[in-house]
Amino acid sequence: MRSDNDDRINRRTMLTYAGTAAAVGLAGCSGNGGDGSDGSDGSDGDDGTDGSDGSDGSDGDDGGDEAFELGVTMGQMDSGLDPQDHAETNTEIIVGQVYEGLLDRDKEGGIIEGLATDWERTEDGSVRFVLRDTSFHNGDPVTSEDVRFSIRRIVDDDVGIASPQKNDLGSVSEVVAGDGEVTVSFEGFNPIAFQLFATNGEIVQQSWIEENDGNFINRNTNGTGPFVVTEYDSGNEVAYEPNDDYWGGDVPVDALTMSASSESSTRVNRLLAEETDIVTNVPPQEVSRVESSDVAGINSVPSARIIFLQMRYDVEPFSSQQFRQAMNHAVDVESIIENVLNGFGNITGQPTLEGHVGHNPDIEPYPYDPEEAERLVDESGHAGVEITLQTPIGRYLGDVEIAQAAANQIDSLSNVSCSLEQREFSSLVQDITTGNIEDKPHFNLLGWGNGEFDGSQTITPLMTTEGALTILENEELDQLMVDAESTEDPDERVEILQEANQLAHDLAPWVFLHQQFSVYGVSSDISWEPRADEFIDPDTATQQ
Amino acid sequence: MVSARVIRNLKKEFRNSALAKIGLLLVVGILFTAAFAPFIAPHDPTEQQLDQSELPPLGFSETTERTTSQMVEGEIQTVTETVEITPDAAHPLGTDSLGRDMLSRIIYGARTSLVVGVLGTLLAAFVGVPVGLFAGYHRGNVDDVLMRIADVSLAFPSLVLAVALIGLWGRAAVNIPDPFVVAGLAPEMPESFVLPITVVIVVGLVNWVWFARVARGEALSLRSQEYVKASRALGADDTSIIWNHVLPNAITPIIVLATVQVAAIILLESSLSFLGFSGTTLSWGFDIAQGRDYISSGQWWIASLPGLAIMFSVIGINLLGDWLRDSLDPGIEGEGGAA
Amino acid sequence: MSFGRFVLKRSLQGLGVVWGVVTVVFALRFVTPGSAINAVAPLDASQETRQAIAAELGLDQPLYVQYGQYIFDLLRGDMGFSYIRGQEVVGLVFARLPATVELALAASVVAIALSIPLGVLSATRRNQPVDYGATLFSLGGISTPNFWLGIMLILVFAVEFDVFNTSGRGVDVGDVAVSIVGSDPFVGTLLAWLAYITLPAIALGTYFMALITRLTRSGMLDELGKGYVQAARAKGLPNTLVRYKHALRNTLIPVITVLGLQLGTLIGGAVITEAVFSWPGLGTLVIDSINRRDWPVLQGSLIVIGTSFVLVNVLVDAVYAYLDPQVVND
Repeated sequence: MRSDNDDRINRRTMLTYAGTAAAVGLAGCSGNGGDGSDGSDGSDGDDGTDGSDGSDGSDGDDGGDEAFELGVTMGQMDSGLDPQDHAETNTEIIVGQVYEGLLDRDKEGGIIEGLATDWERTEDGSVRFVLRDTSFHNGDPVTSEDVRFSIRRIVDDDVGIASPQKNDLGSVSEVVAGDGEVTVSFEGFNPIAFQLFATNGEIVQQSWIEENDGNFINRNTNGTGPFVVTEYDSGNEVAYEPNDDYWGGDVPVDALTMSASSESSTRVNRLLAEETDIVTNVPPQEVSRVESSDVAGINSVPSARIIFLQMRYDVEPFSSQQFRQAMNHAVDVESIIENVLNGFGNITGQPTLEGHVGHNPDIEPYPYDPEEAERLVDESGHAGVEITLQTPIGRYLGDVEIAQAAANQIDSLSNVSCSLEQREFSSLVQDITTGNIEDKPHFNLLGWGNGEFDGSQTITPLMTTEGALTILENEELDQLMVDAESTEDPDERVEILQEANQLAHDLAPWVFLHQQFSVYGVSSDISWEPRADEFIDPDTATQQ
Repeated sequence: MVSARVIRNLKKEFRNSALAKIGLLLVVGILFTAAFAPFIAPHDPTEQQLDQSELPPLGFSETTERTTSQMVEGEIQTVTETVEITPDAAHPLGTDSLGRDMLSRIIYGARTSLVVGVLGTLLAAFVGVPVGLFAGYHRGNVDDVLMRIADVSLAFPSLVLAVALIGLWGRAAVNIPDPFVVAGLAPEMPESFVLPITVVIVVGLVNWVWFARVARGEALSLRSQEYVKASRALGADDTSIIWNHVLPNAITPIIVLATVQVAAIILLESSLSFLGFSGTTLSWGFDIAQGRDYISSGQWWIASLPGLAIMFSVIGINLLGDWLRDSLDPGIEGEGGAA
Repeated sequence: MSFGRFVLKRSLQGLGVVWGVVTVVFALRFVTPGSAINAVAPLDASQETRQAIAAELGLDQPLYVQYGQYIFDLLRGDMGFSYIRGQEVVGLVFARLPATVELALAASVVAIALSIPLGVLSATRRNQPVDYGATLFSLGGISTPNFWLGIMLILVFAVEFDVFNTSGRGVDVGDVAVSIVGSDPFVGTLLAWLAYITLPAIALGTYFMALITRLTRSGMLDELGKGYVQAARAKGLPNTLVRYKHALRNTLIPVITVLGLQLGTLIGGAVITEAVFSWPGLGTLVIDSINRRDWPVLQGSLIVIGTSFVLVNVLVDAVYAYLDPQVVND
C-alpha cells in the first residue's frame, strides 16, 4: 500500500492541533455526495486534490473488454433470501438485487418506476398501479395475481408467512388484481402510500412461492431485478450474474459478489488489497488510510438513519420527563460527533431528519449543560439513581464508542451513575422488536433508518402507543399521528408532523444524538454514487 | 502433603533454575499489581478524555493522517490533515480511542484476569476433584459412568462450550466494592470491581474434567496403598477415608494442575472477552478487541500492549507450574484446555 | 485382543460418547431461559410460529417421546430448522465444515512438521543455543493467546508488508486440486491459496507447535536417559539410529495421547482464529448463531464438533495402538 503523500506535501499548511498534537499539513478534498452525476464524478476521480489519478491510470487500463466483476463487503450477511421474511437493511441489500417492488427510488430518494409503470390515487382514496410487462427470472410473466399475492403475503398473517414487514405498506384492507393493474385500498387515507410502496413491498411469484418450502425460498431466488443469484453460501457469500432480460436495460456488471465482515478494519483491508470494490461503514480512523491509498477513495452521504438513546417511559427513572430531558442535557453530542466520529454526523434534536417530510426547522438540539442536567435530575426525584445503557456492537458507525462516551458523560453527573452493557445487535434487536414493552431494554442505543424520508415513519413505529417498537405512550402524540395519517392536504400534514416533532423534542423519549453518515470505501476502478437510504445498487456502478 | 522433602526439592529446583526465578518474579509482580491496582494506576481506567485520544506510548511519535468531515450546504466536505501526535508523559503507554489511559487499563485488567483465573480454577477443582476421587476410589460402575460423562464433557472444546453457555445464559456481572476506594485511600479510582460471574461459573464448569481425570488417577493408585486398606479394615467410612487419606496424598499433582489451569483459564477468559462474551469491559481481551479496529490505522498499541500483558502473565504462571512440577512430581505432564 | 477388535471396541465406545454429546445438546433445550420453544424460535416469533414449533418439537409429548423423536430425526440427517435464517440446519452446518477441517489440518501439519524435529534437536543438543531458543519459543507459544497472535500477524504481514490476505477463504484447497487438472495455472492457484491460509494456520498452529516441541523435548530427554538407549549405544549402534528409531518412537506415544486430548483446544482455537480472519468455518457459524440466538444452528454445530472430536480421538487411538501394540491388551 503506497501512499501518495508526495502530492500532499505541497499543500501543507502549518496549524496547531488540539493540545498534545501538532498538525503538519492540511489538504482539503470535498466529497461529491449527492451530486448524482456519475459521469463527471468518474472523471474527477479522487477529487483532484491528491493527484492519485495519474497512478490510477494504469488501473484504468483493465477496463475495456475485460469482464466487470464487482464485490461488495458489508458488516453482516443476510438472514435468508426470502424478500418478505426479514426486516434488516443487510438482508434487503442482498435480496434487493434480485427482487423489486412496484415503485422504486432514485439516489436522492425520489419516487421512480419499478414493476409499475404508472400509478395514481383513485377517487375513493385507493391507489392503482399499472404493471410493467416483464417476467420473473424463471421466464414466467409477472401477473397482477402475483402482485396481489405478494402484497397479501406481507400484510396478512394468514397468507404464507407472518411477515415482519406487515406494517411497512400501511394498513392495507383490500388488494384487487385487474387486467395488468392492481388496486390497493387502505383503512383510512394513507397519505404516504406511494412513499411506502417505493421503499417496501417486493414482488414474488405466487406459484414459485407456493410450490417450494421455506428452506428453498430462503436459499434460492426468482425475482425480476437486475441480478440473478448463482451461488448462495449462507452467511458467507452470495454470487450473482446479471439478468440479461432486465427491463431496465443492460446491466453493466458481469459478476457481482456480496460478502460481509463485521470488523471494519477487515473490510478496509479487503478494499485496499483490491479483493472487493465497495465496503460499508468505514470508521473515521480509517478514512484517511482509504483516502490516501491509490486504489480506493471515500464516498459518503448523509444517511436517512438517526442514532439515539431510547428511554422506556414506563420504568423509573425514565418515566420522568425531567429525567429524560436531563439525559439530553448530560450528553455532549457535539463533542462526540467531533471526537468520536471525526465530524461524520449531524446533531439532531427531533426524531425527523432535516430534509425529511415534517422536519421542524425551529427546534434546536438540547444544549450540553451538565449543571442543568443535575438540576433536572434532582427535580425529578431520582438523584443517586443507577442506570445501564445497552448498546449494539458494530452495527452503527462507532456505536460502541459513542455509547461509551455517552454513558461516561452521564456517569460524570454528580447524581446519576451510568454503566454500559454491550450486546450483539441481533440479540438486542430481538429484545427491541418483541411485541411486549416489558421485554425491552430500559435504556439503549439504536439507529433507525427512515427509507420513506417521511417523519411519520419514525414517530409512529417508535413513539406512539400502538407502534411496533414503541417506548412511549402519550395521547397527544398519538392523536397528532392519527391526524397526520388521515390528512389529505400535504401542507397541513407537514404542519401536524412539525407539531409532533416539537412535542417529541419536549417529551424527550430519546437522547437525541445524530444523523449517521454512510461512509463507503469505493475502489478507484469503479465509479458509484451512494444513496441516502443505505441501499446499495451495484447495477449503477460503472467501470473506470 | 507438604513435607520437609517437598520444601527441600522446591528450594533446590528454584536455586538451579533461572526460569523458575523469572516465573516467580512475574507472578508476584502481577499479584501485587492486581491487588494494589488503585495505588499503582496513574488514572482511573474508565475515565475518558475525548480530546486526549489515541496518544502513542512514550518514545513513539506518530505521524498520521486524520480526516474530518463537516456538512457544507448539504454536501459532506472532508478535510485531511497530516498530524504529528506526540506522546504525553501523563500517559506512558498511550491512550485508547476514547482517551483512556492504557497503563491504567492494563493494570486493572490484571485484576479481572487473575480473579477469573483463580476463582474459575477453584470452582473447577471443587467440582472435579471430589468427582475424580470418588470415581477412582470406588471404581466399578460409578467410575465408568463418571468417566464417560468426563469423556462427553471433553468432546466439547471449552471455548465452544463456554460461548454456548454464556450465549444462552447471558453475561451477568456483580459489582464488588473496592476496599481501598471505600476506605477513601484512592478516591479517584472506580468504586467497584466488576466480576463477570457468568464467565467464572462457565469456565469452572467446562474445565472441571481435567481435575476429575487427575484426581481419579491418583485415587486409583492410592486406594491399594496399605494405609488406605488399613483404615478400611478399621471400619472408617469411605468419605472420611477419601477426605483424610486419599485427598492429602493426591494434593500435589492437583496443585500442579491448578497452576496450569489458572494460566489456561486466563487465556480462556481473554478469548471470551475478545469475542464479547464477558460481563466486564475492563479486561485485556476486551481491549484487544477494541484495539483491533485501530491496528491498520496506525494505533498499534491499543491491541498490542494488552496482549503482551496476557502473554507475560501466562508465561509467569506456566514457569511457576514447571517449577512446581519439576520439584514435586516429575511424573505429571501439564495438560489442560487452553484457548 | 487383535488390532481390529481393539479398533472396533474403541469405535463402539466412541459411539457411546457421541450419544452422550447428542443427549447433552438435547438437554440444552431445558437450560434455555424461559420455555424450550425459545431454544428454537426467535424471540420475535409470532404466537402461531411458536405453536407450530411446539407441535413440531412435540413439546406436549412426554420427555422420552421428544427425546426419541430428536434421535430419530438426527439419524435421518435432520438437525432441525433455523427459523432465524429460514433454512435447514444440516445444510448450513455441513457447508461450513470443510473450511474448518482445512484450517485445522493445515495448522496441525505445520505444527507437527516443525515441532517434532525442533523438539528432538532441542533434546539432543541440550543446553546449547538451539535448546534455549526452542525452550523460549515453546514457552511463548503456549502462553500467547492465538487471537492476539493473529492480530499481530495481520499487523505485521498485511498492514506493514502487504504479503498475505487477512480475511476470508478466497481460494480453497479444492481449487488447488482442480487446478492440477483444470485450466487455471497450478502455481498461481497454489500461491493464492497459501496467501489465504498461511496466517490463520500459523495463528492456530503456534500453540500446538509449542506444546509438541515441549512434549517431544522432555520425552526425548527421558528416553535418552533410559537404559536401553545406553545399551544400544554400547552395542555400537549408530547414534542417529538409536535416537530416531527407538527413542523417538517411544516419545511419540505420549505425545499422541496428549494431542488427542488437546484436539478440543484445536477446535476451540479454530473458533476464535476464524473470528479473527473471517474464515467461513464452523467457528464463525457458532459465534454468529449465538449472536443471533439461532439455537438450532448452535445445537447442530455442537453435535458436529463433538462428533468430530470423538472421531479423531478414535483415529488417534488406532494410530497409538498401531505404534504401541501393548495398549491393545491393556
